[in-house]
Amino acid sequence: MNLTYLRLAFVAVCPVIASALLYILDKRTKFGSIDNRKKQILYGIIFGVLAVIGTEFGVPIEGAVINVRDAAPLCAGLLFGSLAGIISGIIGGTERWFAVLWGAGEHTRLACTMATVVAGLLGAALRKWMFDNKKPLWYYGFAIGVVVEVIYMLMIFFTNVSDVYTAFVFVKRCSLLTVLANAVSVTLAVLVVSFLGKGHRHRDKEYKKLSQTFSRWLMLVILAALCCTSVITFILQTSFSSRNSDALLTLNIEDVKADIEDASDENLLRLTRNVAADINNAGVVNNKLLHEICNKDGNDFSEINYVDKKGIIIYSTNTAFIGFDMYSGKQSRAFTVLLDGVSEFVQGYQSITHDSYVKMKYAGVSLDNGDFVQVGYNAERFRSDIDTLVVGATRNRHVGKSGYILIASDDCIIVSDPNNSSEGQTLEKTGIIINRDSISENVRFECMVYGMACYCMYAVTEGYCIIAVQPVEEVLFSRDLSVYLMAFMEILIFATLFILIYFLIKMLVVENIHRINGALGEITGGNLNVAVDVRTNEEFASLSDDINTTVFTLKGYIAEAAARIDKELEIAKVIQLSSLPCTFPPYPDRTDFDVFASMNAAKEVGGDFYDLYLLDENRLAFLVADVSGKGITAAMFMMKAKTLLKDYAEKEDNVADILTKANEALCEGNDAEMFVTCWMGILNFAEHTVSFANAGHNPPLVRHKNGNFEFYKSRPGFVLGGMEGSKYCQGEFPFNPGDEIYLYTDGVTEATNINNELFGDSRLYNVLNTMADVSAEKICRAVKENVDSFVGEAPQFDDMTMLHLHLLQKNIITLMPCKEKIPEACAFVEKNLEHTEVPVKIITKMNVAVDEIFSNIASYSGASEVKIECCAANGKVLLTFIDNGKPYDPLAKPDPDITKSAEEREIGGLGIYMVKKTMDKVEYQYRCEQNILTLTKFFP
Amino acid sequence: MTITKSSQADELTVALTGRLDTNTSPQLESELKDSLDGIKKLIIDLGALEYISSAGLRVLLSAQKIMKKQGGMVVRGANESVLDVFEVTGFSDILTIEQV
Repeated sequence: MNLTYLRLAFVAVCPVIASALLYILDKRTKFGSIDNRKKQILYGIIFGVLAVIGTEFGVPIEGAVINVRDAAPLCAGLLFGSLAGIISGIIGGTERWFAVLWGAGEHTRLACTMATVVAGLLGAALRKWMFDNKKPLWYYGFAIGVVVEVIYMLMIFFTNVSDVYTAFVFVKRCSLLTVLANAVSVTLAVLVVSFLGKGHRHRDKEYKKLSQTFSRWLMLVILAALCCTSVITFILQTSFSSRNSDALLTLNIEDVKADIEDASDENLLRLTRNVAADINNAGVVNNKLLHEICNKDGNDFSEINYVDKKGIIIYSTNTAFIGFDMYSGKQSRAFTVLLDGVSEFVQGYQSITHDSYVKMKYAGVSLDNGDFVQVGYNAERFRSDIDTLVVGATRNRHVGKSGYILIASDDCIIVSDPNNSSEGQTLEKTGIIINRDSISENVRFECMVYGMACYCMYAVTEGYCIIAVQPVEEVLFSRDLSVYLMAFMEILIFATLFILIYFLIKMLVVENIHRINGALGEITGGNLNVAVDVRTNEEFASLSDDINTTVFTLKGYIAEAAARIDKELEIAKVIQLSSLPCTFPPYPDRTDFDVFASMNAAKEVGGDFYDLYLLDENRLAFLVADVSGKGITAAMFMMKAKTLLKDYAEKEDNVADILTKANEALCEGNDAEMFVTCWMGILNFAEHTVSFANAGHNPPLVRHKNGNFEFYKSRPGFVLGGMEGSKYCQGEFPFNPGDEIYLYTDGVTEATNINNELFGDSRLYNVLNTMADVSAEKICRAVKENVDSFVGEAPQFDDMTMLHLHLLQKNIITLMPCKEKIPEACAFVEKNLEHTEVPVKIITKMNVAVDEIFSNIASYSGASEVKIECCAANGKVLLTFIDNGKPYDPLAKPDPDITKSAEEREIGGLGIYMVKKTMDKVEYQYRCEQNILTLTKFFP
Repeated sequence: MTITKSSQADELTVALTGRLDTNTSPQLESELKDSLDGIKKLIIDLGALEYISSAGLRVLLSAQKIMKKQGGMVVRGANESVLDVFEVTGFSDILTIEQV
């Protein structure tokens, strides 16, 4: 027996092993790279062969053959693909169809074949549509195994409608094992493959949860319904079957009883009629006559009594009865009907009135003279007459399909046993024990008859015990059939409902949720213009509308907030820009240098800044700095850094000290961990030097007169605000009139174009060196334009800041104040202005002015020398005349009246007047014993 | 400065090239002093004059005064900056300026 189960287990494990091996082969070897279609066909064939093995190695248990045939196609379909499932199902099914030729069961042929094909198809379909071509979870595997086998069982019924009984017996015997073996096999295969492919299974969590909840509740409800209906059916059917059985048993017993009684009554009456005829014929009646008749051949009665009209026995073969009054007892009184006109009466085998221990059967027939004769016989006499009749009455009688009637005599000797020929033996032999005290007649009781559980019922008549026997199995057949069918059908209905609800949920809920989720994902991703539009049902339509409304409202808020932030940032930008010196030239009176700076923030507010201020008449501080990070925080840090630098610049003489102090102050409470790089220089106009210090900033480009722009590299100190105690070194280089310096932040050199190329040092170097003799503003704008055209469409990532400082050449000529030197003076001015942007017309005006002023000095001042300074920058020409003559303010003289006629005109004073009119500004001062006259002329 | 003179009966044309400034004005002044006798119409051609200073104006003014008695003087072809000077100094009201 154990060996049988072992064999079953082995057959069931085959698909599991095959699944595991094929899975490993597919995932861990080169085999996996073969064309999927070919692989599927191969899998189909392998699992088809396994199904065949399941057929051929069926395990016989309790007279039924258990096959593990459907597990293989299911595994193929669920684990390896639809095509594999279909192929293996067809192979397994076809082989089963023909297996009949070499001994497989005939009556389950169609059912087996169909079930195997269905297994393959179902596995394939579920994988494709329900599990999205992924391995199912193990309990789904189990459930599918059960469902397929249930289909198989139902098919056995439906293909054997003509012989439901046989089919049911088969199903009853093999259903549990077949279902379990197949389902467990599939479950194990799924588990093993899942274990091997750990991590490969990606199930949609949300989706699983929703359908899980539904299926769990559905499962509970259906299971409860299954249990309820099964219990109710069981109870009802049991009671119904029992009552049927009762009725059947009773009916049969009554029938047999009637047969026996009829036969024995008829027999005794016939004999009694003969006795009555003899007595009528005899004429004289006495005891002797009765003895003669009694002992006559074929009679052999127990007794004959002669009763007169008064009901008194007057003659009898048993002298003890003579004089017995028939009216005295219940049993005997029944015969008195014969005195009231009834001609014949027969009574059942029973105790007699005279002696209750004696059982007799009597019959009476009235005589011609009005008396009647009573004939009785005892058990032995009765049985010798009746036995054959009794046997005849039950031999061909069936109770139900396989039930029968047993008859035993009073002393429990079997008289009739139609199936087992045990006549003559005791009743115990059959297994029936009737204790008449505890079991009454006509009441069903259960006992083992010939080793088979049977319902029995007995009745006693004419000294016989009639026992009707019906096997319990037969009685409860319909009940069991109903319960099994109901269970099978409900499992099938559950499975169908489950799949239906699964798909309904998927279609109506999950897919819509996915669509909404997709749209929400886009919205979260920043695209607020996405509209959710799922309108398959009212709920989703309403949800879509709600989401759209929410997004719309949000959009409004966001736009509002954005507008507010924009506005604030705009204000911040204005504040930031206004904090930088933005009026150029910053010191209009200073003609000895030309400076320009600009800052272009990548965001509304930036972290770059520049600054420049005169510390005193001879020192100009200038710097460019870059705060780490961008936006508001950088801008705030920038303001702090800028203020600190300016503060310390005014207090300290040394650039290095300025940076060192500023660094200490910036490090203090720098929780945001911000820092700033800075290149700061101080130009000394008297000494013609630039002293500088560098806090981690890019090297500037310096151009010495008549040279090229070159990077001025120095070893930089650490960034400001980066570390307390940082020390900075001061450097110094000569910076003579005509020299230029260009400072910038990395926003210039690291400007990136769409190809991710950097603008770079070399481009900056080249741009600067293509420009000669142009103003600081033009240089800055040219660099900016170059960077912009290089960057093109790419966005600006970093702030871009630059500062250009040009120490202008001082153009001075010292001349003797005589008219002969006028051409020299004019030539000097012309030369100075000829390569600038000053228009020719203005140069002419300057010439006229030089002529007038110089001749004036030559004529009236008495000076020994005149210095003329000329420069053009920042849109104006400055012309200064310095002489050491006697103090004389030409501007003090009143203007000539130019409305006078030619005759009235005075010729003097016209020159100064002309100069005043043609120049934009004419200023006189007497300083250090020198007359200083400064003319200013703006040019466009 | 170069001074080119051409006369036709009692009409004298003086063409000036270059600059009429402090240093060149005396040259023109003496030139005119010698040439104005008997001249009834003086034409000063400033077509090639770059600029004029107050000294030049003085010469023109004295020439104008003389010519007003002898006949007339016309200033012709002055460039923009010269005209500007005339305008500023009120000479445009005194001189007869002809545009070419």
